[in-house]
Amino acid sequence: MNKSTLLIADDVLINRELLKDIFEEGYNILEAADGEETIKQIDKHKDEIVLVFLDLVMPKKDGLEVMHHMSINGLIDKIPVIMITGEATVETDVKAYEYGAADIIYKPFEPAVVRRRAKNIIELYKHRIYIEKELETRTKELFESRKKIEESNEFLINALSSVVEFRSLESGEHIQRVKDFTRIMLKHYKMLHRESNITDEQIELMVNASALHDIGKIAIPDSILNKPGRLTDEEYEEMKKHTIYGCQMLEKFKQEENEFYQYCYDICRHHHERHDGRGYPDKLKGDEIPIWAQVVSIVDVYDALVNKRVYKDAIPIDEAVTMIHEGKCGVFSPMILECFDSAKEDLVIATNKHLGK
Amino acid sequence: MVEELYKNINGNYEEALSRMQNDERIKKFLGFFLADTSYNELKSAMESKSLDDAFRAAHTLKGVCKNMAFTALSIVAEAITEELRAHNFEKAEEIFPSVTNEYNIVITEINKIM
Repeated sequence: MNKSTLLIADDVLINRELLKDIFEEGYNILEAADGEETIKQIDKHKDEIVLVFLDLVMPKKDGLEVMHHMSINGLIDKIPVIMITGEATVETDVKAYEYGAADIIYKPFEPAVVRRRAKNIIELYKHRIYIEKELETRTKELFESRKKIEESNEFLINALSSVVEFRSLESGEHIQRVKDFTRIMLKHYKMLHRESNITDEQIELMVNASALHDIGKIAIPDSILNKPGRLTDEEYEEMKKHTIYGCQMLEKFKQEENEFYQYCYDICRHHHERHDGRGYPDKLKGDEIPIWAQVVSIVDVYDALVNKRVYKDAIPIDEAVTMIHEGKCGVFSPMILECFDSAKEDLVIATNKHLGK
Repeated sequence: MVEELYKNINGNYEEALSRMQNDERIKKFLGFFLADTSYNELKSAMESKSLDDAFRAAHTLKGVCKNMAFTALSIVAEAITEELRAHNFEKAEEIFPSVTNEYNIVITEINKIM
């Protein structure tokens, strides 16, 4: 193994030679006789130097200036500095530590003490740098594996959601649009309602949960699900049950205390509730309906309007927005309409993108 | 020979030996001391009454003397350093002759054995 390198910075030859005598056997020794030379040596050999002995009082630049240079360049945490001083005054000691010195030794030198302290400090810094590197690697690994899990989760949710899409033939890209619109709405909600403390992470969970809003339709017979033309009252009642069927499916895999589960459940069950309490299945009203369910509810309606369905043609975006505002397609809370207004431009851009315009 | 020198200058031979291992090494450092400029810097700073330079030189001289275990010289060097640190230039001027005196003794003794 190569010898480690020590830098001895002191303007007095005798002091340098004494330290050299102590360390010559185990280390490569670099020397500097003033502050500027010290800085040059440090910059040139920063990757080899494992310890600097630094005299406080030196010509051109003093020890404190050298340490200041090391802090600016991020070296003070990597290369330990042992301050050499003629006497113990609290003032200079405190200053030296403030500037980042690892230790202080006083003249005259006690060889055994100096050798031991130097060894301890070199090992301490080596260990610290190793630990920091290790931590960095682990964090990176953790981050990557978490990203992979998130990606597979999203894949599974999309696959599951598309089962329903596939059956109802016509809705095509509906799920993807609902997700995109939900994200846009929630971002605007976050902007307008800082007090909600909603995080980007929560928004992504809600966006993923929104994909499952119609999962219960898997239990609706084809004859109803794909019926062209108006449903009879009876058929409509059955159709409404998709909110409950969805929740029944989710409940089988219930995860207590899991935020994502809660969003999925609320969105499945409540995305057809109305602000005035005249929605289904629970006739919740006002604030009783969770925000995430209200958001999916409005974007679901909006998407149904601007796209062609078995039972209707596509409606122009502007007209759709007006219809929602006038309460012709459900009743929404003033708060959610406010978000919808704020998000309108972004929604239009996203809609046109999806429509291939 | 080296032990004799330390006796003559009121130094601490045992301490010097523990730091420098053997007489050969001590002699090498005595040679370095002859070349050390801090006393001369102190002298000219005292003459030109420049307090900061005097303090710096005295401080350096003190450190060197401590490392060399020149007890007598390091005591007066420390005394003048502290006066200069406290900006008592007149007190420092009072002490300076004894610094010179002790310094000359050391130099004379070193020259004898070189």
